[in-house]
Amino acid sequence: MATVITHSLADVILTAAADSSGAATKTVSMPIGVPGYTLHNEQRTVPASEPPVLPVNKDLDFIGKSPERWDGLAKVTGRARYTADVQLPGMLYARFVNASLPHARILSIDTSAAESHPGVKGVHVIESLLGAAVLRDPTLERTKYPIVRFAGQPVAAVAATTPQAAEEAAAKVKVKYEVLPFVVDADLAREPNAPLVFPGAADEAGTAGGGGSEGGIPQTGNIHGPAVHKKGDAEQGFKDADVIVDARYTTQVQTHSALETHGVVADWKPELLTVYASTQGTASVREELAGFFRLPKSQVRVITEYMGGGFGAKFGAGNPGVVAATLSRKTGAPVRMMLDRQEEHLSVGNRPSSDQRLRIGAKKDGTITAIQLISFGTAGCGTGAGCAGPAANLYKWASLHTEENDVFINAGPAAAFRAPGHPQGAFALEQSIDELAIRLNIDLLDLRDRIDENPVRRVQRQIIRESALWKSRNPRPNADPGPIKRGIGLSQSVWYRHLTMNCGAEVRVHKDGSVEVFSAVQDIGSGIKTVLAQILAEQFGVPPAKVSVKIGDTNYPLGPNSGGSVTTASLTPAVRDAAWQAAQKFLVSIAPALDATPGDLSLSGGSVRSASGKFQPIPFPTAAAKMNTDEVSAQAKRVPDYDPSKYDTYGGVDIAEVAVDTETGRIHVKRVLAVHDCGRPINPVQVISQINGGVIQGISYTLFEHRLLDPNYGLMVNPNLDKYKIAGSYEVPQIEVQLTESYIGQSSTDASGIGEAAGIISAGAAIGNAFYNATGVRIRQLPMTPAVVLAALNQPQPSMEAL
Amino acid sequence: MSDHQPSQKELPEAPSTAKTPAGISRRGFLKGAGITAAGTALLEGVQGFSREAVASTPQGVKEFGPESFPITLHVNGKEHSLQIEPRTTLADALRIQLNLTGTKVSCDRGVCSSCAVLLDRMPVNSCMTLAIDAVGHRITTIEGISADEQMHPVQAAFVRHDAMQCGFCTPGMVMSCVSLLERNPHPTEADVRSAVSGNLCRCGTYPKVFAATLDAASQLAIKA
Amino acid sequence: MNSFALADCSTIEAALSQLKDGAIVKAGGVDLLDRMKNGTDTPARLVNIRNIPELRGIHPTPQGLTIGALTTLAEVADDSAVRSHYTVLADACGHAATPHIRNMATLGGNLLQQLQCWYYRSADFQCLRKGKDICYAFSGLNQYHAIMDYGGCPSVAPSSGAVALLALDASVELASAAKGKRTVAIRDFYLQPDSNPHSFHVMAADELLTAVHIPRPATGTRSAYQKYGEKESHDWAIADAGILLEMDGEICRRAVVAMGAASPVVRRSHEAEALLTGKPITPETARAAGQASMTGAMPLSMNAYKVQLFPAAIYRTILLAAGQMDRDPSAAG
Repeated sequence: MATVITHSLADVILTAAADSSGAATKTVSMPIGVPGYTLHNEQRTVPASEPPVLPVNKDLDFIGKSPERWDGLAKVTGRARYTADVQLPGMLYARFVNASLPHARILSIDTSAAESHPGVKGVHVIESLLGAAVLRDPTLERTKYPIVRFAGQPVAAVAATTPQAAEEAAAKVKVKYEVLPFVVDADLAREPNAPLVFPGAADEAGTAGGGGSEGGIPQTGNIHGPAVHKKGDAEQGFKDADVIVDARYTTQVQTHSALETHGVVADWKPELLTVYASTQGTASVREELAGFFRLPKSQVRVITEYMGGGFGAKFGAGNPGVVAATLSRKTGAPVRMMLDRQEEHLSVGNRPSSDQRLRIGAKKDGTITAIQLISFGTAGCGTGAGCAGPAANLYKWASLHTEENDVFINAGPAAAFRAPGHPQGAFALEQSIDELAIRLNIDLLDLRDRIDENPVRRVQRQIIRESALWKSRNPRPNADPGPIKRGIGLSQSVWYRHLTMNCGAEVRVHKDGSVEVFSAVQDIGSGIKTVLAQILAEQFGVPPAKVSVKIGDTNYPLGPNSGGSVTTASLTPAVRDAAWQAAQKFLVSIAPALDATPGDLSLSGGSVRSASGKFQPIPFPTAAAKMNTDEVSAQAKRVPDYDPSKYDTYGGVDIAEVAVDTETGRIHVKRVLAVHDCGRPINPVQVISQINGGVIQGISYTLFEHRLLDPNYGLMVNPNLDKYKIAGSYEVPQIEVQLTESYIGQSSTDASGIGEAAGIISAGAAIGNAFYNATGVRIRQLPMTPAVVLAALNQPQPSMEAL
Repeated sequence: MSDHQPSQKELPEAPSTAKTPAGISRRGFLKGAGITAAGTALLEGVQGFSREAVASTPQGVKEFGPESFPITLHVNGKEHSLQIEPRTTLADALRIQLNLTGTKVSCDRGVCSSCAVLLDRMPVNSCMTLAIDAVGHRITTIEGISADEQMHPVQAAFVRHDAMQCGFCTPGMVMSCVSLLERNPHPTEADVRSAVSGNLCRCGTYPKVFAATLDAASQLAIKA
Repeated sequence: MNSFALADCSTIEAALSQLKDGAIVKAGGVDLLDRMKNGTDTPARLVNIRNIPELRGIHPTPQGLTIGALTTLAEVADDSAVRSHYTVLADACGHAATPHIRNMATLGGNLLQQLQCWYYRSADFQCLRKGKDICYAFSGLNQYHAIMDYGGCPSVAPSSGAVALLALDASVELASAAKGKRTVAIRDFYLQPDSNPHSFHVMAADELLTAVHIPRPATGTRSAYQKYGEKESHDWAIADAGILLEMDGEICRRAVVAMGAASPVVRRSHEAEALLTGKPITPETARAAGQASMTGAMPLSMNAYKVQLFPAAIYRTILLAAGQMDRDPSAAG
């Protein structure tokens, strides 16, 4: 039972002040740090309207506990309706016509045969394509139709009464192409005489998930770059170094492969365009549709009750959204367009490859004097291959020089993918840091203690150090005789406390004691519904399962787009603030019946309490019946973080135990210990599920996945799920997660996201470092297939003697 | 290779140039097959074909399509009448015609098992099963796993163990695990991994699927 | 999928009467639907044999075992006689694809499945096997392709069942309306690519594969099959081994070393078998046999790793068959 915390205005305010904008503030004392390690109190100056400080989780009733996933029942019974399940009366089915040439100019499109196919109600020829990079100077390419820049690019679409009719009709659209020279090999694309993907400089915008590239980057041929960042004098830094580690790493293109493909059901009515979307951002879909069709936002409604995964690829309406909406307008009927698995691989995003040259200079004691990273990567006909995040942000360095280059090839444009750039960058960085430690004869964790200033990761490294798994590690590489060699390796990850300020929520309290929360936010699988329910439960004492959570509809207050791991961090303070404000209004509305002043009343621990002791605590449902109005409600927006000057990156530390079969080249990941923080974990079980997901997706990226393009024809040879290989049940290790509660004193819930910080970033280097520990050989290439492993084991290795 | 730039002739045809299907038209077949009065053979295990759909054919052959025809499917304990074509998959028949959208289609090639249903209590991929092949068999979908308002112990265990995230693979996973427990009431974790070795999950629910299924097995053992 | 008519047959005779004018047999439909959904195959008419009772069942015979072509892979793998005495076949069927596919896919369909080469499976590539005279794999992506005996088409034999049946010296029974029944040994059933690029096997368009006949192995026979992929949940074989050992006490009187993922047609390695014959099975002889299996290997640009992987697959499966090693964690689960 949580400590009952009584709040009245008098208790809480330590000092009242006005901030520079004139809004009233108060100074409060907040828990900061990691319980059991570094927990202490610090003061923060916060808006006076903020709710009282939440104590640490152990002192709470619902937050920090793990009630069952709010929509678990709907998901296990099949009642959950995804976009692919939405059926509206008179709904038509739409299919794209896709080019199967990697580079071509469309000379003509004849849709007449398609239009007269039985069942066809409308056709659309694409004249403006979304997703790929866009020429800075559009006059360089004045064509009626978009240039085809990758095999799989949609060029037209048909809508028909059945999916089969749409498929048949799509095959009848006659497109005449002029074939253009193409390039799909990123190395060849860098050469001076390579076929050009774009006739001039082009940029892809990032999305709510990240990706894309900065503006104004130079471009030479197919090389879009470099984007240069320099801090200090790296040249001098390398001269100052006692030891330099210098290596090249390469990683592959990965496709998101969410199980539900991209798609929408668009229902265009004169007064309202309603779109059911499989999206990570109802707000982003509405934004893009309103912009594209020049509609007021108030005439666009986006609904996402459930969606089957996104991992960064599902922001905005995209081509499926705008084309389905166009066809709906044309035909006067709702139109469902869901991509098939092949289209999903080809046209709606991927994680760029990387080719990194990483140089690290250090003193004998491990201090880093210089980091230099020159990277190239291909995001297809898009941009966003940069991977300098870990090098720049994980460790302390005296000087930094990074140059990131995108290399255009005739392949589908990339899209932000779970921690964009970071799995690639960490794969290189964390192996090179291990190499450095070995060269300097410093313990792997001790070196990181010296160069990583983050206080929470210090605690996490300590947890690793004391773990049975790490203690079982033999520091001598290649220690096992026989063909199966065991090894344990570690990697850290770094992520950032991104926020979306543009979000809010509404909370309503009813006289019958029921409570509701409304937000346009979508649940991408992380369990935000449960989290919101818990926040209301904490305020009102109503069990989470009984809280009504209404999300995924832009009719509700604007929600954050679920990218950058912002959702929990951005939305939960707004929800808590709305719940608090609704509770205050609730107290005002029952005060008369209780013959009390609102200032005497508080609502905590599920009961209404009188500070003056006028009455015994009244359970909330009983008190609600005394409301003098049927309903009170409050809306709140996300207020800014309390003290960004105290920001730090966050992340975590993972260790992986592998069994390397040196005769078959299979790397079996046996166990993983993942130590991560996400501020205040609101639902630890759901956080652990996310971390499991990051770990497994990271293993899959490290060992199996590869978007393969035939070099001679530019076509993807594995646009499916049997030859594009994803980790299955046999590939899953035993995963232990240790959640580090980490209070940062920044908001009324103090929660951060976990989707990107954990697992996906560190799997590659954890496995790479474990492989080195197992075999004495270092693999600097992904994926680590048997072919790669056997080749690496065959190479004579330079010895890595310590100085 | 940079010295091999495919000419327009060499390149495969763009799929927009329609290929007519190989083979002959139905009318041509009927002319050639020597149609006689329809036989009335009732195939064992294949009940439910509507007589109206059967054209006159040689003995032992029943002709269907390519146009649509009515069938009856036995789904979750109830008979359903619907119109299908020979090419209609069981997944589409369930999802579109019967509005049983709990069964998902994800890869459409029988690789990910999001579409898993039970055919005579054996897990199969409904996206790779023709609806006509399901006639006369007992089909169970995710909607038919629980008895009345009570969840199946596997479903309850999935919720208890948080064995779902986005939930798209979940119906298929549940079907595979329910079927496992019917055949093997005391599975090991290895048995569970084997039972779901055809179920892909991109969110990484596997560890909790294993735990939930083992828990459900022990719950069922307690009840037994 | 394209629109098609379906002739549902209740007897073998009825089915045979329908095998003309381009009609295609549908059994489990697993491979066929994959090809139809990819658009590489567009038959106007399917002959559905799923409901023919005579094509099902596993029957002991005086000679050994007869398995009806419609028997599912799961039924084959679960059969106690197959597991005890024809273990290599139980292994191959029991680890194919996924549990869901094994419940639908038939042994006949497994033997008749078409190439898994990704160029062959794509409607965008018209290759040697589809009537043109170009192969895209040699100069393209060939990491999963053949390392020996490939002639003009370096695909690999796709059927694990065929590897096991080759090891068992089994035969298939074919029937047609015109010519009646005939039996063809597995070793004679598949065609080398250069002998006929457009056909994978000797079965005629008007023939139906009705049963598999397996001779009873000699007393003391032990067998096993293992398949290796890049992962263990549902992957295509990058190496495999079907091993049969006729043991006379400690001595191996006769050995069969069969492979599928090395060449377009399932093959035996007589070089490997010679090193096992007349000796006890030991890790040394098993490893030597594994190495010898790669005699004549000519890897392509991307699959030299198979020359290292196959010897491991083979020696481990020899030792598994001999009872000296457990099932390999690196083999398909």
